[in-house]
Amino acid sequence: MMESVISFLISVTPFLIDGLLLGFVFGVAAMGLTLIWGVMDVINLAHGPIISLAMFGVYLLTVTLGWGNPYIALIVVAALALPIGMGIYYIAVNRVIDAPHLSSLLATYSVNMMLMGVMNAVFGGAPRNIEYSLGTIQIGESITIPTARLVAAVAAAGIATALYFFLYRTRIGRYIRAVTDNRDAAELVGVPSTRILALSFGIGTLLAAFAGGLIATIFPFTIFEGSKYELKSFVIGVLGGLGNPIGSLFGGLILGVIEGLVPMFLETSWTPVIEFTLFVLILLVRPTGLFGGKS
Amino acid sequence: MAILEVHEVTSGYGEVQILWGVNLSLQQGQLTALVGANGAGKTTLLRTIMGLIKPWSGRILFEGQDVSKLPPHKKADMGLVLVPEGRQLFTSMTVLENLEMGATPRRARPYFKRNLELVFEMFPRLKERMHQKAGTMSGGERQMLAVARGLMAHPKVLMIDEMSLGLAPVLVLQLFESLNKLREVGITTLLVEQNVHLALSVTDYAYVMAHGKVELEGPSEQIAQDPHVQKAYLGI
Repeated sequence: MMESVISFLISVTPFLIDGLLLGFVFGVAAMGLTLIWGVMDVINLAHGPIISLAMFGVYLLTVTLGWGNPYIALIVVAALALPIGMGIYYIAVNRVIDAPHLSSLLATYSVNMMLMGVMNAVFGGAPRNIEYSLGTIQIGESITIPTARLVAAVAAAGIATALYFFLYRTRIGRYIRAVTDNRDAAELVGVPSTRILALSFGIGTLLAAFAGGLIATIFPFTIFEGSKYELKSFVIGVLGGLGNPIGSLFGGLILGVIEGLVPMFLETSWTPVIEFTLFVLILLVRPTGLFGGKS
Repeated sequence: MAILEVHEVTSGYGEVQILWGVNLSLQQGQLTALVGANGAGKTTLLRTIMGLIKPWSGRILFEGQDVSKLPPHKKADMGLVLVPEGRQLFTSMTVLENLEMGATPRRARPYFKRNLELVFEMFPRLKERMHQKAGTMSGGERQMLAVARGLMAHPKVLMIDEMSLGLAPVLVLQLFESLNKLREVGITTLLVEQNVHLALSVTDYAYVMAHGKVELEGPSEQIAQDPHVQKAYLGI
């Protein structure tokens, strides 16, 4: 009996570690979505294509332009995502920000369609893969971790920590929290709220792009890859509390573990079924998320 | 000298016109009351002055400069500050963070420490609750925090909307006493009040609004003696 428990634990551990490592990356992708939702009550349906675009951006710099190192490309892509996100805000979102939710939903959906259209025309539907191996790390006899996943997890945790310090320890971060809390009041104390909304959209886009770039260092991808992570981001957002970017990191870890463990017991195709069952259950039982969110 | 002048301002929400040509001016260093029945347009006037609602026509001058089209944050930067109705605090932030947010305007930052001491002296309660979340405080404490946050902006003109609404009489008196302090430090104040009697007893000058217009204005003592005002607002 004891022996079978131990052997079970040993067989589970690699899947668990794998899931946790990926969970950090899922978490950062979801942070991008939930930050934007929290600050301006906009569900950014362009989230997925932005993730895909970042994957192709990293691919373009690393492979096509021959930079070789995807991590340098990732930093460049993330830095570009900030002004791109701010641009999307001013062009597509700002004018409908006070309109009913459906307007901003349609506006970001239009951005989604445009980005997908452009990517389809330029890159086509064929899968890409960034050949860049960091090798593996061996722990004990049975656990082998691809180093790229470890690096991705550490980078994701790093940017999540940076976001936390930015929001809670800097003046601009405090402005973002103030606009999230009460936009009129923020404007009345002297916060240029439109610029803060644009900046928040830019940061949300940067986080999505960062996650996309990290995923591109781990898995092959097509232009449709981002939409998978958009769906995951919704589940994670609800798990961690929509509008609570820090909760997203924990939500991401939970989802990562589920994705790691499900294939041990069921066909992989059951994963989304389980995830979205969880999504509906949490909405029913605890709509503010496991870690509290914006009511 | 008039620090804030409102000339023939009209505005409203959507297609509904609320203000029908309002004229008002605040004299430097004075305490002015704006009274009137519910729905007279007092809050709409304050929101229009700040730019939360755009004026449809007319002009708003602050220190002689036309600010009619400026957004609220620009006005706050210049020293025109509103303590809004319903307090509008940052409920997820602590008392101290709310006060820090109040000091957002660049011109307020050098005075941060001094103003913080001033508001803690006026409202010792806030000092005790410094690290408490604003959303968990009582109505009176929230009102104190709203006024204190306004003061942290180092305002030249402070407009306070319905300071006494829903507060216990003891607290109301305490808050009104603190208004004298504002006069001492030279802040021009516009007080929108439903407690007409109290408002007229502490202010220098008063405006009475009805149906989106200024119906009557004059020194507060004189307004308090007006037969129509006595009948309509003071129950005498």
